[in-house]
Formats: sequence, structure tokens, C-alpha cells
Amino acid sequence: MSKSKKSSQKSQTDDLVGAVLVIGGGIAGIQASLDLTEMGFKVFLVEKTPSIGGRMAQLDKTFPTNDCSLCILAPKMVEVFRNPNIELMTYSEVIEVSGHVGHFYIKILKKPRYVDEDKCTGCGDCASKCPKIEAPNIFDMNLGKRKSIYIPFPQAVPPVYLIDSDMCLFLNKGVCKVCERICEAQAINFEQKPEEVQIEVGAIIVAIGFDMLASKLPDNWGYKYENVITSLEYERILCASGPFEGHVLRLSDEKEPQKIAFIQCAGSRDFHIGIPYCSSVCCMYIAKEAIITKEHSNSSECYIFRHDLRAYGKNFYEYTQRAQDEYGVKYFNSKISKIVEDPETKDLIIHYEDLNDGKFNDLRANLVILATPLVPSEGSEKVAKILGINIDKYKFFKEKTLYDKLSSEREGIFLCGFCQGPLDIPETVADASGVANKVSTLLYPVRNTLLKEKIVSVPEKKINLEDEPCIGVLICHCGINIGKYVDVPQVVEYIKTLPNVTVTVDNLYSCSSDSQTSIKELIAEYDLNRFIVASCTPRTHEKLFQETCEEAGLNKYLFEMVNIRDQCSWVHMEQKVDGTKKAKDLIEMAVAKSRLLKPQKESKLPITPEALIIGGGISGLIATLNIAKQGFTTHLVEKESQLGGNLNNLYQIFPGYQKASEFLEPFVNKVKSHSNINIYLNSNITEIRGYIGNYDVIITTKGNKVNNIKVGAIIVATGANELIPETIYNYKKEKNVITQLELEQKLRKENLEWLDNIKSITFILCVNSRQKEGITYCSNICCTNALKNINILKKLKPDLALILIYRDLQMSKKGNEEFYRDSRKNALFLRYSLDKLPIISKTKNGKFNYKITLFEHNLKGDIEFYSDLIILATPMIAPENFKELSKMLKVPQDQSGFFLEAHVKLRPIDFATDGVFLCGCAHWPKNIQESIAQANGAAGRAIRILGAKEMKTSGLVAEVIEDYCIGCGKCADVCPYNAIELIEVEKTFEDYTLRLKKSKVNSALCKGCGTCGVQCPNSAIIIKHFSFKQINAMIEAYLKN
Amino acid sequence: MKIVEKSSKKQDIEFKPNIVCFCCNWCSYAGADLAGVSRFQYPASIRIIRVMCSGRVEPAFILKSFKDNIDGVLVTGCHIGDCHYISGNEFTKDRFERLTKILKFLGLEDRFRLEWISASEGKKFAELITTFTNQIKKLGPLNNI
Repeated sequence: MSKSKKSSQKSQTDDLVGAVLVIGGGIAGIQASLDLTEMGFKVFLVEKTPSIGGRMAQLDKTFPTNDCSLCILAPKMVEVFRNPNIELMTYSEVIEVSGHVGHFYIKILKKPRYVDEDKCTGCGDCASKCPKIEAPNIFDMNLGKRKSIYIPFPQAVPPVYLIDSDMCLFLNKGVCKVCERICEAQAINFEQKPEEVQIEVGAIIVAIGFDMLASKLPDNWGYKYENVITSLEYERILCASGPFEGHVLRLSDEKEPQKIAFIQCAGSRDFHIGIPYCSSVCCMYIAKEAIITKEHSNSSECYIFRHDLRAYGKNFYEYTQRAQDEYGVKYFNSKISKIVEDPETKDLIIHYEDLNDGKFNDLRANLVILATPLVPSEGSEKVAKILGINIDKYKFFKEKTLYDKLSSEREGIFLCGFCQGPLDIPETVADASGVANKVSTLLYPVRNTLLKEKIVSVPEKKINLEDEPCIGVLICHCGINIGKYVDVPQVVEYIKTLPNVTVTVDNLYSCSSDSQTSIKELIAEYDLNRFIVASCTPRTHEKLFQETCEEAGLNKYLFEMVNIRDQCSWVHMEQKVDGTKKAKDLIEMAVAKSRLLKPQKESKLPITPEALIIGGGISGLIATLNIAKQGFTTHLVEKESQLGGNLNNLYQIFPGYQKASEFLEPFVNKVKSHSNINIYLNSNITEIRGYIGNYDVIITTKGNKVNNIKVGAIIVATGANELIPETIYNYKKEKNVITQLELEQKLRKENLEWLDNIKSITFILCVNSRQKEGITYCSNICCTNALKNINILKKLKPDLALILIYRDLQMSKKGNEEFYRDSRKNALFLRYSLDKLPIISKTKNGKFNYKITLFEHNLKGDIEFYSDLIILATPMIAPENFKELSKMLKVPQDQSGFFLEAHVKLRPIDFATDGVFLCGCAHWPKNIQESIAQANGAAGRAIRILGAKEMKTSGLVAEVIEDYCIGCGKCADVCPYNAIELIEVEKTFEDYTLRLKKSKVNSALCKGCGTCGVQCPNSAIIIKHFSFKQINAMIEAYLKN
Repeated sequence: MKIVEKSSKKQDIEFKPNIVCFCCNWCSYAGADLAGVSRFQYPASIRIIRVMCSGRVEPAFILKSFKDNIDGVLVTGCHIGDCHYISGNEFTKDRFERLTKILKFLGLEDRFRLEWISASEGKKFAELITTFTNQIKKLGPLNNI
């Protein structure tokens, strides 16, 4: 019996294919592909357009940090391009899918580029000579023009040209072929035909994104006028590599507009045109575009027409406030009736209703930007048909269940990113890691079966330390991020004059894949033995350039990075002269250090294939299950006596109205019964030592039972708490003023008699959130929660009067808008503003318990009504004990006390400390659906580490020069990692042999902090890459000239 | 007459201090990046030297800076208890408390400051640079002492 079971299992494994098809090369597809290869799977990444990058590549900046979008995306694009286990198939489409979960057969159609991808060097000679010029540039949203032989954008991956077959003279009229004659690489091939490729994969990820609906908008939005554009078109205008090279100009006269109007919800949330949902990201990117506009020209006036303000993510609400307070952007709470053009000036007149006073007004603007609805990408219906999966009524791909949005209804096919519903970038990235994890859970038995090692074509250069340093310096304009505030050409001229600097060049974006090629060419051409890039921060880009150097045969420790953006141009925007001088100094100091750089070696360390999950709420449970399922021992620590976290306090959950207890039960049971899972209830982490791959953790259980465990990765899933509003609305004294969570607990009771005497309930939203001071953020989940409770209460007691007092309703995401409209039937919705809070007073001997007085904007006066029960929607807050954990794990908290991720856009579930990951409300208040998706993501990120057998350690370590060491042991005393030991060595001096004590650093354990080097009384310890000489040289270089 | 004009002109030129700021990779360097990402503006008076931990900063570096006529030196790191390397900044604290005594003896203590800045304190970083720069401006150039 057992034998036959075993063999059937084996045959199942035999049929699994350790490869994955990813459809769509936007940020979702890119992240999923990168994660999958790290987990041990081969990836076929299929992209319909000629380059990966997707919509994110088109954006100028990203909110809420105003980070340069392409700059953070480009390193990932390059990583995809370099990855030996990602087969990149651009300009290709999936045309047929057959087979079954674990083993699909895929047919892919490769469209002809008429340019040989392997031969094209991306030099651009062809485009400069191509005579056809009228093709609209699709990447620039058709605002600019391009030749019929073109590269979609300068940083495109692959960096290869192609011919537009509709526009090419030769392909249409049989004459020309100029490109073929001019191309030295002989890459032009007019004989190319569409090609069908067949592949086999175990799973499929759909990551196709969105389109911006504009041309189909009703006339009243005025999109037909020249100076009315979509926000994505405006992103291109703002961008330094866009059609106007970063100058804000309007289309009719190419003049700088003074008054710019931004219109939110231009078509979204409109039931008449079939877009009933909120596009989720517009409130934020409009605030961003207005801020960037003000940064371009401080004298311009920016007006934002908004309805609700949906700024629900980390630092989002604060960002919209900064737009107003610091940048002077003006918001109108309004509804637009129509936009018409003044035919003479081409200005636009916006007719709108001011929702604050109900009056109709006009505003004249020079340029209007519409936040038009984001809709499923064209052709997604066709893809759904090919894949045999369903789409929903909005034409987004349909998820398997409300709480499993990463899976489609067909087994083995997964969804991520915007194709499943509106999302912002960090949510997309977390989802991408989540689907990678889902795939890994399915295909883990065939992990590492199809991988190949990266082949390094250029062997590492031998560096003779006596050789003259030959330093190459690349200085980045970063679009206008550096170039506008620092005089880059002047810096280049100066750096050229420094000793040992062989070559200095500047470029628009250093992080693009074509720049990596030119860095490699520079290193080869000038036989460089050191390289410097002056651009953004090493925290995000050092790895990219180090790898490029390695590919050029330069040891990565011979590379040095200078931060002239985050720490120079961005903080000295009004000090061009001083900023330029600073950039020169910083690079000069790096040159001084660079002269003294040495190549370093890296060693390898084994990894403990076990994981620790802190927190047993829904996020923790999901993460635990996912890791355990893939065969790794998982330790789950929960401080309470039962698993389930906040779900233990809820009645029914949003949006499915299941009982929380019933929803939770199967997860808890699975965790309890899984043989790979160790559960520690009533327990706390009391000590964490070690580093990625090998952490020593002490778990203390109530009653002082102590467990020592060793793990390779840690996931923080500690959740968050509801704020108890001690001092607000007399909460402490009044037993009928309660929080939402207390209401849920009342509803959980089997006996609902308490409801009998209640005739009216008032919900107050944004209690102590979105304040000017204190808690300034939007807590994301309170609105939907309140509406859910209203619907539940109405069902329980239909004659109940329900009133909801709100500021803005946070109803973004698919389906929520309709949920809100449905809920409107069940309650009276009244708006209030922060400057006029509702007043609650106790009635005396009245029919009701409380009188509520509220200022009504349309009536311009107070209204009064009565209620028996007041529900306060207070925000979720970070619990006090985060501090302790943050110290133990060495991970930071953000200003609101939640845990701070490594990068708000592209590393939303990582910590800067490698090996520790984050999910659920510990990161930010989020609902169950989002928590589950994020927990999947965190599990996936951890699996990448646990699945690898060993890992490389850094070459940044300490080294003892034995001859100088006096054996005092002071270094060993201060080493926090016990990486230094005193050993006895025998030294022979002529006739005498002495046994001496000497320090020895274990480079596998050393983390390179450098404390020992400072402590050494005899300067016997060298801190590699940060040596005494190197730092001294930097100080000396500062004022030398 | 001409000479007088020249010297009075020279005095009119605003003194712009030259300051070295040591940042640890994990907290204060990230805080300085955050100041940039948030566009918090501050004087272009500092040159950041990145080290992995503030525990790497040798007191000798500060003395070397002053010897090279640098007007002010900042050493920044993670808050006590937050050190990425567990306890590196505790040694920093000890070392620089001792160094401050020596600097007092040399009359240089106002030109040196040790500050803890976390990765989320971009604003604090910008404010620190602004106030420290103003402090050094008041003290004047180092070679004038």
C-alpha cells in the first residue's frame, strides 16, 4: 500500500516541470520572475511589447517619496536581462495553452523585429539615418515622434532596435533599406518571419497590467481638446527623457502653463460608462504630479479637483497634506460638470460644483490633466480565453476566492498585479513575491532541476597593487534629478583633471542596461582597474554596478559609488553653485579612496533551513503554512494563548460576511496538525543573535520555559492594535460610546438582547486619525469595516436607524465602490471636516442616550440628531512592544511606529537587514485579503533563502596583520559576533621559539562593522574596504584643492 | 584705497563652513537618503563619509580632519540599542565622550558633535546639518583660531 502510494507520488513528481511561464513584463512580472529563479525555477518571461518595464517605466516619479521611477526599476530590468535562468521573450505573445497543472504546453508567437536580437548593439545608427519620421512614439503616449526603426525607450531591455512594419518604407513600398546599409553589425534582417516557439512549464503567472481609458470618455471631460491630457501623458511630459525633455509645456503652443488643473475620478467610479470601481492610485499620483509640477516651476498654480481623498497607504495622507501645506497645491472638493475650450487661447474652462457650499463655479486653466480610469489591458480577454480562465464583470481576471486573489479559478494559473484589480506598486510587488511562493508551493519537488549557473565570460582581472590606479568615473544626470541642480558638465571637466582618473563620462541614466554595456566597454577600452559611479545611493544601486564590474572582469570591491543625488542635488535644490562644488568634492574624495581599493574575496556559509514566524494572526498562519508545506521546519511564536490574532475579536469578515471564527478554523487546524510546524503559545522572543542564514533565537514561554532554536530566516507578522480613544467623545465614561472592535465583540455574542433597546446607532469615522498632529495617517480599513458592520446591523434589526459620519470614504479597490453604494441604502451618510468635529452630548431623560450636533456644509448650519449607541472608528496603531522587537531584530520602525520596510516601492516586505521579512498589519493597517497576499509574499521571500544550501558572505571583513598583533585580546572583547579568537602561534627568533598569542578573525562570522579595528592599540587590524588609509585619504582629499 | 576695498569685500563674502560627516550605513546614511527623498533642504556644507558602523570611526579621523583645516566634524550612527551590529555604537559613545575631553582641552569641542539618527529621521538629519552649520558659522573658520 505504502509502496504504491510512494510510486504514484513519484510519477506525479516526474510529470512536474521546474519551469514557469510569466506573461507580462511590467514590475509584477519582473519581480515574480526574479523571485522564482532565486527559488530554483526556470522562467520564461513573455512580453507583448518590445521591452520589459511596463507602465512603471513610463512614470516620471513615484509617490510618496518622489523617487525617480525608472531609476528604481532599471536595476531590476537589468537583473532580469542578466539572469541566466530567465528566458526573455519580448515582442511575443502566448497563443496556445494545453496540458494541466504541473505540466502545461505553451505555444508562443514571436513577432518579427526585422533586427537580429543577438547582433544588434543598440548603437542607434540605423534610427538616425532612417528617413521615415512620422511614427508616433507609443512609449511617450504618442506625444513625441520616432523613426520607423526604433528602440522603445533608451533604457529598454533588451536594448535592441526593431522595425515598425506598418511604417517602414521598405516593408510597405519596397524601397529604402538605408538601415541595412548603415548597420555595421549587420543586424537588419528583412527576411524575419513570425516564429512559433513551444515550451513546457509547470505553472503560469499572469501579470499583464492596465491601460488608461481616455478616448472613450464622454465628451464632458474634454479629452478631445489639445490641452486636456491624461495623467500618463503628463508623466511623459514631466520626464527628462520625455517628449519635451522634462519641460512642462502644453501641447497647443508648447508654452509653459501657469494654471494647471488636475481632475480626479475623471471617469472612474462612473456607473454610466461601465467603470464602477475606484482606480485606487489616482488620488496619490495626482498629488505627486502636482508636487513635481511645483518643483519644476514654483510660480505655477496647481488645482486639484477631487471628490473623496483616498490616501490610504503608508505616508500617503501626509503626502497629500504636504502637497497643500508645503507646496501650495489647492484642493477643491468638487464635482465636475464639464470642461470646455476657449477656442482663442486654447485655455480650458472647468465648470464645477463646489461640494463645500453647493455653488457652481468656473475655473480657467492653461492645462488640464485627467486622472482617467485604469482598465484591464487591451487583449486581456483574449489572454483569458487562451488560458481558459475567467474574467469578472469589470474584465479583470477573476480570482479563485475573495481571500485568495493570487490564484485564478484554474489550477496552476496564478494572477498578480493590476490584471486582477487596481493596485499600487508596492502592493503589486508584494503580490508578485506572493505568486512566486504559490508556484513554489506547487512545484517545490522539482526545484533546481532546470537551473543553470551564470557563465562569466570575462575572467577576473589580476590586479597588481603596485600598478598605477586607472580609474573610470561615470557621472549620472539621473534625468533632471541631478542635472537640474548640479552642473554635471562642470563636474566632469574637473574630475577629468584629477590624477589617476583615466576617463570621465556623464550620461542621462546610469542604471539602464545600455549604460551597463558602456561601463563594461569603458573598463575594457581603457583597461581600468577601478571604477566609480556618481549617481544615487549605494543602498539601492551599488549591487547593480558591482555586478557590471564583475562582468567586465573587475573585482566588485574595486568599485566605489558616490551619492550625488539623495545626499546632494535633492537637498540643495536652490544652491546650484554650492551643490556643484559638493558633488566635485564628494567624487574627488571617492577617487582618493578608490586609488587604495583592493580586490577582496568572499566566502560561503551554510544556511539553516528553518524559519521563525513571529505572530500567530492570519498573516503569521499563512506564512507558516506556506513555508512548512515546502518542507521546511517552521517555528510559530504567539504571545497569546490561542492562534488567530485580531480575527479572534471579529464577528463577520469583510467582504464575504463569513463568521471570523469559521474562516479562521481551517487555517488554525492545518497549522496545528502539520508535522513541520512547532507552535509556541504564550511565548515571547527574548533574544535573537546571528545573521541571515543562521539566527540563534531564544523563545520564552510563560512559566519560564526556554527554547533555543536556530533558524535561517525570520518573518515579522505581529499585527497591530486598535487605538483605545481614552480621551475622545467621553469614551471612558460612557458605556454606549464604544470602538469598532468592541462592537464586533458585542456582535459575536450569541445573545443579542443588547440590541433590543437600541433604536439608533451612529458611526463616527476618522476618530483620531488623519489629524494635523499625533496620528496623521489614514488607517485604511476602518471605512469598509464600518460599512460592513452597518450592513450586518441592518440585517439583524431592519428598523434600526443608522448614521455614518465620515470625512472621506476609503473605498478603493475592485468591488468596494459598489459595496459602498449598496450600503448607502442602510444608513444616512453625513460628511464632516476636521475643523468642525461632531459634538456628542448626553440627553437627559430623553428617548435616546445621546444628541449629536454636526455642521452640515450644504445647509451651512448645524443639524442635530439622536442615537443610543456611538461607534468610534479609531485607527490601528503599532503596539508598544514593537520597540523591543525592533531592537532585537535590528530593524527600524517608521514614524508611526509600524515596521519600516527596506524600500517603500520595490521592497515592501523586506527589511534592510537581509533575512528578516515583514507582512500583515505590522507593516501597515490592512484587510484580510491584503494580509494573506502579503503573507504569501513574505513566505516566498524567505523560501529564497531557506531553499539555497549556502550563501556568500561579504568581503567586507576585518583582517589581522599577525606581525603587528600583540595578542592583547581587546578586539575579541568588543566583537559582537565572537568572530575573533586568540590563538597561540609559535614564533622562532634565531635560537628561541616562543609561543605567542595572536588574534584571528573568522571571516565567515565577521560582519565587517570595524569596531575591532578602532579598538586595536597597535593598528594591527585592517577593515577591508574601509581601511584607516582609505578613510584618511578621503579626509585629506576634501580640502586639498 | 583699493586695498581697503578689497579687504572689506573679503569680509562680505559669507563664510561657508567645510564639515565632514561620518554616517553609518544602516541608520544615519539611510536617514540622510530619506532627507533627500523627502526633499528636506539643508546647507551644502557637509561631505558624508560612509562607514558600515559608527564603531568604525576612529577618533584619529576627527583629529586628522581638524588638522586638515576642516571646520567641523559630525559623527552619526544608529540610536543606542538599534545598532545593526548589536553594540558597535556603544563603543562609539564611549570613545567620543573621551575624545570630547581632549577636544575641550584643544578648544575644539564645539566643532564636533556625535548624534544618533535613525533611518526614518530624514527631517532630523536635515535639521542637524542646518543647526550644526550655523553653529560652525558663528565660530568662524578653523584657521582663524
